[in-house]
Amino acid sequence: MATSTAPKAAPGAAEKPASPKPRKQKLSTRRRREALSFYLFISPWVIGFLVFLLGPMIASIYYSLTDWDSFNPPKWVGFDNYVKLLTDDPVFWKALWNTFYYAAISVPLGLVLGLWLANLLNKQVRARKLFRTLIYLPTLIPLVATAMIFRMVLAPNGPINDFFGLFGLSGPNWLLDGPWVKPALILMSAWGAGAATVLLLAAMKGIPRELYEAAEVDGASATRQFWSITLPHLTPIIFFNLIMGLINAFQIFSQVYILIPKGKNPAGYDAAQTMVPLLFDQAFSYYRMGYASAISWLLFLVILVFTVIAFRTTRRWVFYETEVK
Amino acid sequence: MTLGRAQFSRRGFLGLGAAAGVITLTACGSSAGSSDKPLVMTVWGGDPDRKTYQARIDLLVKKHPDLKVKLQLIPGDSYPQKVQTMIAGGNGPDIMQVAESVNTYSSKNQLLELDDLAQTAKLDPEQRFGPVGSLYTYQDKLYAIPDRSGAVTVFYNKDMFDKKGIKAPTAEWTWDDALDAFKELTVPGKVWGYSGAEWFPQWWSLAYQNGGTIIDANGRPAVASDEVVEALQWAGDLVFKHKVVPSKADYADMGPDIGGDQAFPNQKVATHANGFWVMSGLTKVSFGWDIAPMWRGKKQAVSAFGSGLAISRTSKQRDKAFKAIDFLTSTESQAQIIASGQDVPANLEVQKSQAFLKPSWMKTDVDMGVFAESSEFVFRAPFIPEWNEMIDTISNGLADFWLGKERSAKKALTALQKDLEALIKSGA
Repeated sequence: MATSTAPKAAPGAAEKPASPKPRKQKLSTRRRREALSFYLFISPWVIGFLVFLLGPMIASIYYSLTDWDSFNPPKWVGFDNYVKLLTDDPVFWKALWNTFYYAAISVPLGLVLGLWLANLLNKQVRARKLFRTLIYLPTLIPLVATAMIFRMVLAPNGPINDFFGLFGLSGPNWLLDGPWVKPALILMSAWGAGAATVLLLAAMKGIPRELYEAAEVDGASATRQFWSITLPHLTPIIFFNLIMGLINAFQIFSQVYILIPKGKNPAGYDAAQTMVPLLFDQAFSYYRMGYASAISWLLFLVILVFTVIAFRTTRRWVFYETEVK
Repeated sequence: MTLGRAQFSRRGFLGLGAAAGVITLTACGSSAGSSDKPLVMTVWGGDPDRKTYQARIDLLVKKHPDLKVKLQLIPGDSYPQKVQTMIAGGNGPDIMQVAESVNTYSSKNQLLELDDLAQTAKLDPEQRFGPVGSLYTYQDKLYAIPDRSGAVTVFYNKDMFDKKGIKAPTAEWTWDDALDAFKELTVPGKVWGYSGAEWFPQWWSLAYQNGGTIIDANGRPAVASDEVVEALQWAGDLVFKHKVVPSKADYADMGPDIGGDQAFPNQKVATHANGFWVMSGLTKVSFGWDIAPMWRGKKQAVSAFGSGLAISRTSKQRDKAFKAIDFLTSTESQAQIIASGQDVPANLEVQKSQAFLKPSWMKTDVDMGVFAESSEFVFRAPFIPEWNEMIDTISNGLADFWLGKERSAKKALTALQKDLEALIKSGA
């Protein structure tokens, strides 16, 4: 196949050297074949990306400027949707606050927990392979199953509140009582810390032994070693987990949808409605596609701002070994 | 251009994206379809529903070999999204199951008006379905033919009633009679006298019994009226004052996803008011149970659950679709609904037939005549175009009330009235 294409392309290539870009050299047949296979193999992704992601994204910019019920032709309304969202929709601000609340606590908590667990699992203890498996296991359980388990665990007389009962405390109605619903969601997110743990653990294994040996000779304590050797080496992975965690936290949907279903637990849903569930309701329950598109773009901006901030600060705290050498 | 040079600039890539965007925009308007294709019928539910609908379609095809129907069963919680996507894509279902949210579609011009088709086919909804016949009308036009329709009935645990020496509930019970019985039946922490106060069809029944309405005759919200306040207060007091109905916390302790429908078969509650489907959980229980019509307040009123069959405006085969609906709601096809134990058929003749009163699958003696009896005092629920938002607003607005944090129905409903007024601006 490549041989039939190559001769056709060659004349075209031969004409070009006269063009005002002399730095582009005529490609060898091998390079051209390589390029061909590159585009061939990347095309499924490119086409998928254009048709299913970038295309709809651009279309949604247009829709966000219209009043559209998804059935009848959209009506152009300019920035009305955005103005209404930002100035005249308390539910939007509540959802945004809930999302911030969730992200601000669950992301750092996930990082700290992951780091702590990874550090523990890196120690020479009996059955540590088993522990590693067990800690990663929760991330393999489908979200629906996890949510079902958490509904039982967090029941008013469930195991968690029974545990509190041992100390004479009466636990809250986690999923029913307004202020406790978001902490319950965060608790469930901590359950998935194993995913970060595995990445951190792998990075820990990659830290050269001689650094620790040298530190030991110098008389550095274990704590000192952790802060001065382990942690700096882990910062790229921590940074990766931070970015992924931020994006996932802002887009939280299924957990809310399953743990506190709107129909059965309106109070819980009301107390913890985040951005994506709000968007979903507007689009598919109230048939306000234009409004929902505007919400999605505002959410996109919020995520963008936080990701940019995170990237801007990398120079101060993320340590890439290759950059030092 | 050579392949080697075919490098995409960022701008070019974005341009391709824009092109794809335009395609996405235009694709939403296109449609295709020929008259030879089978009719597409969308319904919601689970496997038992599929069997029943398919059996009815098989009967239809036997009788009218020129009709072909393809059944699409969609799980209930994703049904609106799926149908929305189909319609928006220009390939809406020919026959479409609709219920309370029917007028979100009809008000957006997505359903076909059926008056003319019904007249041509000599289908008189009033005669075939009684008062329910006009349930799916919007601005005096008919948009769906009733298909399934069953009132809320009172399920009661015969054994528990007998043990306490309480007479079976009747349509003539007053609110006081009901409360006395529930108190008698309650064993604190173990058995509750009743469940089924909190869901809107349940407490709305009480509001209408008391002479209230949710949406008044002018299309304006009317939930803060004395009648509605009194009814909601009574329902709330069952949970928090008299403690004869399990609270949300009590249910949550019984397990995930437990409500009255599960608590009644588990003998956690002695009485329960809900739809026909509760029976499916009762086929294997060892205790005696029966059903009774909903009790009364100042007058008789009860909610009903049901669904109708509509034709989407994008359908290319309107006449065939109506012919199918006509048959599906006839006695012959509707008898299947009860034969399989799926639901209560809307067709009155079937509701009064021996096949309905003594279904073959029913092992115990259950007073099925209750459904026909109740259908006479079913109140007409306000199927407004903003139905989904109204229900969300109501359940959000009353969330604290049903948690027992706000014990005054008056306060809760006054706040709710304001929210509803903001939502429902236009009077019908």
